Amino acid sequence: MEKRFFVEENAVVIGIGDYRVGSFPMATVGLGSCVALILHDARRSVGGLAHIMLPESRGSPTDRPGKFADTALCALLGEMEALGCTRGSIVARLVGGASMFEYSGTSLNIGERNVEAIRSLLQGRRLRIDAEETGGKFGRSVIYRPAEGGRTTVKRADGICFDL
Amino acid sequence: MELDIYQTDALNELGNIGAAHAATTLAQMLMSPVEMTVPEVKVVDIADVYQYIGDEISALVVFQIQGDLADGGYIVVSMPVSAVIELTNMMLGTAGSDRELTEMDQSAVIEIGNIMISAFLDSTAELLGIVMLPSPPALAVDMAHAAFQSIIAQMAADVNEVVIFSTELQSDAPPVYGSIFLLPNPELLREIIRLLEALVAT
Repeated sequence: MEKRFFVEENAVVIGIGDYRVGSFPMATVGLGSCVALILHDARRSVGGLAHIMLPESRGSPTDRPGKFADTALCALLGEMEALGCTRGSIVARLVGGASMFEYSGTSLNIGERNVEAIRSLLQGRRLRIDAEETGGKFGRSVIYRPAEGGRTTVKRADGICFDL
Repeated sequence: MELDIYQTDALNELGNIGAAHAATTLAQMLMSPVEMTVPEVKVVDIADVYQYIGDEISALVVFQIQGDLADGGYIVVSMPVSAVIELTNMMLGTAGSDRELTEMDQSAVIEIGNIMISAFLDSTAELLGIVMLPSPPALAVDMAHAAFQSIIAQMAADVNEVVIFSTELQSDAPPVYGSIFLLPNPELLREIIRLLEALVAT
């Protein structure tokens, strides 16, 4: 409950299934199979981050659009376009989608499916991915700072910390 | 999902019994007393899970709950890496506390998890008169939240809240500290509450 990696940054922590759009720093703590989808508009220095849990909503109405890849992308784009962002100046970044457990039989590994779903949705909207840190077997935390040119820092479970 | 005060009390009591049995087995393995906190039952919104489980590096041994209910949810033992090393050092007579986890450490923590969780599930299932068995264990040595989040993604497609049920166990010599988390799925939770209420009524 203490020892929060990004606390000192005053970032807004985006929990599982949530999303935010704005110019303030946004962070997610300990991504496993979930994926942080960041959409950054370099021209306006604003952007959004969604903490996506599952690849598709299967059409069921949800009060939590951030939870599924398809609804999260719609929600992020909708809010960003309302702020005046245009499709052409938006780039995407993906972080997470790990496979945390090796399990015989049941699969706890939704990470890969999440990443694939988001990639194909982005392609469908003609949005370019300019950086990605996905897959593997370890967790990651990420902080995204729209106002600082969209600087995106990833911290991996092995302690390695770097800018995307 | 809301739990009233009686249901919360009943679940606390169930957790107490399970955790006490797990603590006893840990104490036997350590040959040292193990203290336990009163279990806590919380209904947590998935977006707030990070407030309860941070990103510190831990060894997490994860079991799916099987038995009468095929997919009853998950039960997890979480220990800081330093505690795992203390445990293995004591069990295997190895030394050195500032090191990475070896394969031996990993097998040891899986085995300890197995024994503790079997004791937890056996004692609670016996009280309720149902069968609850742990699946084979899965291990992650990683950010605790990342592992939890993967479990939640597996179980919570159409729900936005999870019931987290936690107890902390602690021994002083060797300095070992760990937590047990129970994440029942809604069907198992309903069944447990129903059986507990039937027990109280008789």
